[in-house]
Amino acid sequence: MSDVVRAPSAIDPPPVLDLHVRATLASGERHFALDAAFVSQAARTALVGASGSGKSTVLMAIAGLLPGVRGHVRIGARTLLDSAAGLDLPARERGVGVVFQDYALFPHLTVLRNLEFGVRRLGHRAAPADLAHIEALLDRFDLRALRDALPRHLSGGQRQRVALARALAPRPHLLLLDEPLSALDIPLRARLRIELAEMLERVRVPTLLITHDPADVEALAQAVVRIDDGRVTGATRDAAVCPGLSSPASGSPG
Amino acid sequence: MTSWTRSLRHGALAIALLLGGTLAQAQELVVSAAASLTNAFRSIGAAFEKARPGARVTFNFAASGPLLAQIRQGAPVDVFASADQDTMDRAAREALLAAGTRADFARNSLVLIVPASATRTPGALADLAGPGYARIATGTPASVPAGRYAAQAVQQAGLGAALASRWIQGESVRQVLNYVARGEVDAGFVYRTDALIERDKTRIALTVPTATPVSYPIARVAGGRDDALADAFIAFVRGADGQRILEGFGFSRP
Amino acid sequence: MLTPLWLTLKVAILATLLAGAAGIALGWWMAHRRFAGQSLVDALLMLPMVLPPTVLGYYLIVLIGRNGVLGRHLQAWFGINLMFTWQGAVIAASIVALPLVYKGARAAFEEVDGRFAQAARTLGAGEFEIFVRIALPLAVRGIASGLMLAFARAMGEFGATLMIAGNLPGRTQTLSIAVYDAVQAGDDAQALWLTAVISAVCATVLVISGRLLRARH
Repeated sequence: MSDVVRAPSAIDPPPVLDLHVRATLASGERHFALDAAFVSQAARTALVGASGSGKSTVLMAIAGLLPGVRGHVRIGARTLLDSAAGLDLPARERGVGVVFQDYALFPHLTVLRNLEFGVRRLGHRAAPADLAHIEALLDRFDLRALRDALPRHLSGGQRQRVALARALAPRPHLLLLDEPLSALDIPLRARLRIELAEMLERVRVPTLLITHDPADVEALAQAVVRIDDGRVTGATRDAAVCPGLSSPASGSPG
Repeated sequence: MTSWTRSLRHGALAIALLLGGTLAQAQELVVSAAASLTNAFRSIGAAFEKARPGARVTFNFAASGPLLAQIRQGAPVDVFASADQDTMDRAAREALLAAGTRADFARNSLVLIVPASATRTPGALADLAGPGYARIATGTPASVPAGRYAAQAVQQAGLGAALASRWIQGESVRQVLNYVARGEVDAGFVYRTDALIERDKTRIALTVPTATPVSYPIARVAGGRDDALADAFIAFVRGADGQRILEGFGFSRP
Repeated sequence: MLTPLWLTLKVAILATLLAGAAGIALGWWMAHRRFAGQSLVDALLMLPMVLPPTVLGYYLIVLIGRNGVLGRHLQAWFGINLMFTWQGAVIAASIVALPLVYKGARAAFEEVDGRFAQAARTLGAGEFEIFVRIALPLAVRGIASGLMLAFARAMGEFGATLMIAGNLPGRTQTLSIAVYDAVQAGDDAQALWLTAVISAVCATVLVISGRLLRARH
């Protein structure tokens, strides 16, 4: 059973995020069944759940990084997945920007080259418009001084900014953040949560944020969807009314 | 003493007995003989062992050149039988032979052979200069007597230049035979006795006249372990039994 | 006197290129696929490293000899016979070198965090682009060491090469075979000289490759 939140007028304009994803993950003898559905009209939605509840799996499914997903995924008027219609865009065509939990910055490339990766294809030059956009991102995220630095020389906060800028460089239609602050130590988290909130304010891209931390939800999200053991168990439009996060998960991939 | 160490001691004892017993009991003889003598000498070895119970002959077959090199380096060889006088002369010059034990024991002839599947047969050496004989096998002259005989015959026939680029060198006369039998080359120089070994896969085209007769000498190597046994073996080879066996394989009297 | 050296270098370099291309591609493919019988394929690819050279040589003869499984077609359709040619020597050397590149490449690719490929995918890169821009640069050290070992192995290849390419001075007589030849003929001076040359070249390769690997840091 899945609960959904529907805005009063659900037909026109199309919801920001509309998805129903089903998948089965098996590792050894353990099975994890994902069957999550929700609709959101908010610009920034948080997907919350305990560890192993399937939130990262949902993110993978939306980004197209998980094989064997059935159902549908729509971002605004764009359809990324529609099993009934036989449509399943590969990850590289989905236009979904992802900020991974550990940022996954390419270690052998400078900050600038990391940012350029999404707009420069093999054997081709980047379009001038894209390069200009990247210069703007460098400024917006205060990375200009670091443009020639390698990721291993950057601090946690700097890496987060680079990861965000890199995901935004190709002008995605949706931004996914996977536990964006859990890679940082606790004292840093509070400060960067504020920075992130400010950055997301300025970003004009619909955002889905995965987290298990209520403080993140408070500061960063406008709508909340709750997931437990592979299923959506609650949703609310009001970020202040946030359900408790205590349900244990069983048979999950971790 | 634990059962494990007891088994270890028993094992070591058994091995010592085996080794000691082997060394003490049999009369061992090591014979290095030219590759062309392989089949004949194996037969002679079996007959010798039957005639002298307790004797064990171990053979080492290769081209005469490498055999000499091994003896020079101190290999524990008791008897040496080479395919030409030249190699034995070198051994004598290097004082590797026991004085007065050298004698000729067989003769052979050099033949030109072609693969059984060949469509035509050369009628004379000069035919080799024509088309259809792109690859001609012969033993490496520096170390294989048969190769030297062939080179001399070719020079004698004035074909040295014409055939210079067609040579495929084999490590021994048996390898040359093998090349022809497998059809890897168009023709090859071997001894008549070798050609008889592979009579279904090769065809003798013609007998090649050699400047000097192909005559096989045998001698006791200096510093061997059992002079009496070595001399007995040499006598056997030169005696009625040995000669009969050699004739059976196509050799002629010395 | 130096012909065997040039011949050996020619054969070893070409064999390393051939084994390199195949080994890297196979290493990448095997690092990212999971299928039934994968360990069997892996064993087959590593086989040339454990098989005795003469066994390998025999298999090659069965394959590319004039009457061989492949050889007879090469002869019939293209008039090509690889026996007793330096090209045959290249093939023999490539096959013994392949496991070394494959092993190094596969291990290097497997060490590359899968996350990077995922990130690259979300940024619009296709599989080939991921291979060229992400995997290859990150795996380059492991691959380079595999290539170096492959080159050294190809330089020293003897057994299978002798069976396939024979011992034709100036055409297929590589350095190792020339040493063998000199020993067989009792020419110690030649053997000594050739051995010195091989040792010098190998030592040089090791020193250069050692510097190259260290320079990356």
